[in-house]
Amino acid sequence: MGADPVVGVTGDRLIGVAIVDDHPVVVEGVRAWLASEPRLTVLATGDDPDEVLRRAPDADVVLLDLRLHGRMALDKLAELSATGRRVVVYSEHTDPETMLAALDAGAVAFLAKHEGREHCVATVLAAASDRPYVPPALAGAMVGDPRPDRPMLSDKEREALLLWFQSMSKASVARRMQISEHTVKQYVDRARIKYTRAGRPAATKAALLARAIEDGLVRPEEIGIYRSQATHDRPTP
Amino acid sequence: MSADLGASAERTRTRKAAIPGPQPGPADGSTPLEPAVLAAPAAVAHASDRGARIVAVAIALAWHVAIGLPAVLASRTQFAAPTVVLGGWILVAVTGAVAGVRLLRSAPLPPWPLAGLLLAVDAAVFAAVGERQLFAAANWVWGTLGWFFVLALWGRRIGGLLALLTTHALIALGAVLAHGPGAADLARYTMYVYGTFSLPVAVFVGSAVIVGLARDRAAAAAAMHTLAAERAAAERGRQERRDRLALVGAAAGRVLGELAAGEVDPADPEAQRRCVLAAARLRRLIAESDDVPDPLLHELRAAADLAERNGLPIDLVAIGNPPPLPVEIRRRLADPLTGLLADARGWARLTVVSGPGEVVVSLVTPDREGPDATGPPLGEHEDGPVQHLYERDGDIRWAQTRWLG
Repeated sequence: MGADPVVGVTGDRLIGVAIVDDHPVVVEGVRAWLASEPRLTVLATGDDPDEVLRRAPDADVVLLDLRLHGRMALDKLAELSATGRRVVVYSEHTDPETMLAALDAGAVAFLAKHEGREHCVATVLAAASDRPYVPPALAGAMVGDPRPDRPMLSDKEREALLLWFQSMSKASVARRMQISEHTVKQYVDRARIKYTRAGRPAATKAALLARAIEDGLVRPEEIGIYRSQATHDRPTP
Repeated sequence: MSADLGASAERTRTRKAAIPGPQPGPADGSTPLEPAVLAAPAAVAHASDRGARIVAVAIALAWHVAIGLPAVLASRTQFAAPTVVLGGWILVAVTGAVAGVRLLRSAPLPPWPLAGLLLAVDAAVFAAVGERQLFAAANWVWGTLGWFFVLALWGRRIGGLLALLTTHALIALGAVLAHGPGAADLARYTMYVYGTFSLPVAVFVGSAVIVGLARDRAAAAAAMHTLAAERAAAERGRQERRDRLALVGAAAGRVLGELAAGEVDPADPEAQRRCVLAAARLRRLIAESDDVPDPLLHELRAAADLAERNGLPIDLVAIGNPPPLPVEIRRRLADPLTGLLADARGWARLTVVSGPGEVVVSLVTPDREGPDATGPPLGEHEDGPVQHLYERDGDIRWAQTRWLG
């Protein structure tokens, strides 16, 4: 539907993916999805994150089912993200609270299980290069975020998120907003980057933010991070 | 997109859609349980308080008339100033009767002027009874006045009553000292003061405690009723979901069974359509985690159910809680989309994003070939406070209704 092609990922090197899920049939399904993209290779699979990463220490991206053996693995997610592991959470639990909690814990992206192959491949490719990818379900959670300390989004960013959530087609959103598809993606991605400032700090969030600044997606002062540090560092007269 | 969408800080959880089936609530969408929770304890407390008021008024007037009056009349020749004692009795009787009636009608007289009048009568009577009648039953202010203080200060804090009774005791002490008392007089004085304090204070405090207890008990009972009603609603919702899961699961199982047995061909479009439909139904069941009925989502859910029964795979995703909306706003939000849904082919995606000041409902279906004879005019138009927007771009048909509060 509206999945974007991702360009310039990690050169010619294959991107290693680890899959953590406690349902073998889902692992096989995701493996089949990822096999459609030649730049991706599955290094290890299993139902225990530690065990899987022991077998694939060099995995670029970890696809993590949020519910493992009946428990929400948010703690594990935060632990992995803090050490810089790029974790893409995928889950059938698509209530907005769960999705936002996963972003807060440092997940690079959140994918609803039913969002399918295109979104899954696009999310993993983007995650490997520390770039944001916002599937429609996550866009819905962000646009409806009720928390008082939610990031401040611009009107255009909110509208792009809302329409993307509704239609699942960036081409249609672009026609509707009378802008290019590229600009739609920029609005959506900028909103996502603002979420790197929510929740506790994580190495993955810093990496997303740094790449977004490098790509010119956001300016440091829009996020407020460098300005506040500059204020802090100013020598006292 | 207004900035306040999704700004309901008080909300901590999302309800996705209403419980299917008959709804207990009124049509305007307000939650039926809340008024009962607030009103029941207040009503019980009011009833309990009214009983205590009747008792207090009855004691004060009965004492004044049945005990005070005969003693005053019997001893009227022995007072230092009989007119003042009798006049005071009549004044307090009339004022007390008015205050009592007003109190029973929940429109009490202003407490402090009333208390001032009572204390003035108190002082005058003490000065007028004379030494011989000072401790006799004919000095009616000893026994009666405390009860009228209770009427005057009903429903107020105990401190005011204690202050009045203390002033009363000081006035009495002044009168006793003025007559050059002996040790026996002081002992009697102490006994009388104890007597005038204890009963009125006990009734005053007791009634306040009983009212408080009644209110607490009623609140606890109302909360339990609410909980039971919510549990019943949640249980009914769960049961409905279980029933639908059994139905949907059986349909999905049949397709899978036939595929596994090689009875149907995975390449057959009809088989694919059955798989897509079964998957969409299962997905919706998983997404329905709500247990609080919301009328807007309930209407949309009902329309989605109908479309699904007609074989249309449909996603219904709701984010946020719609605020309570008047029925005509809900109609304007839901009706255009439910109408289009009946005409949809292929698949449909129905979404609702709600915040305290904004609700946006959207329906996306694949665009079909040919002139759109049944569809609404394309473009944007207003229907009262609700914006409607229809578009088709060759890929999708997109209808959106948006209410801005």
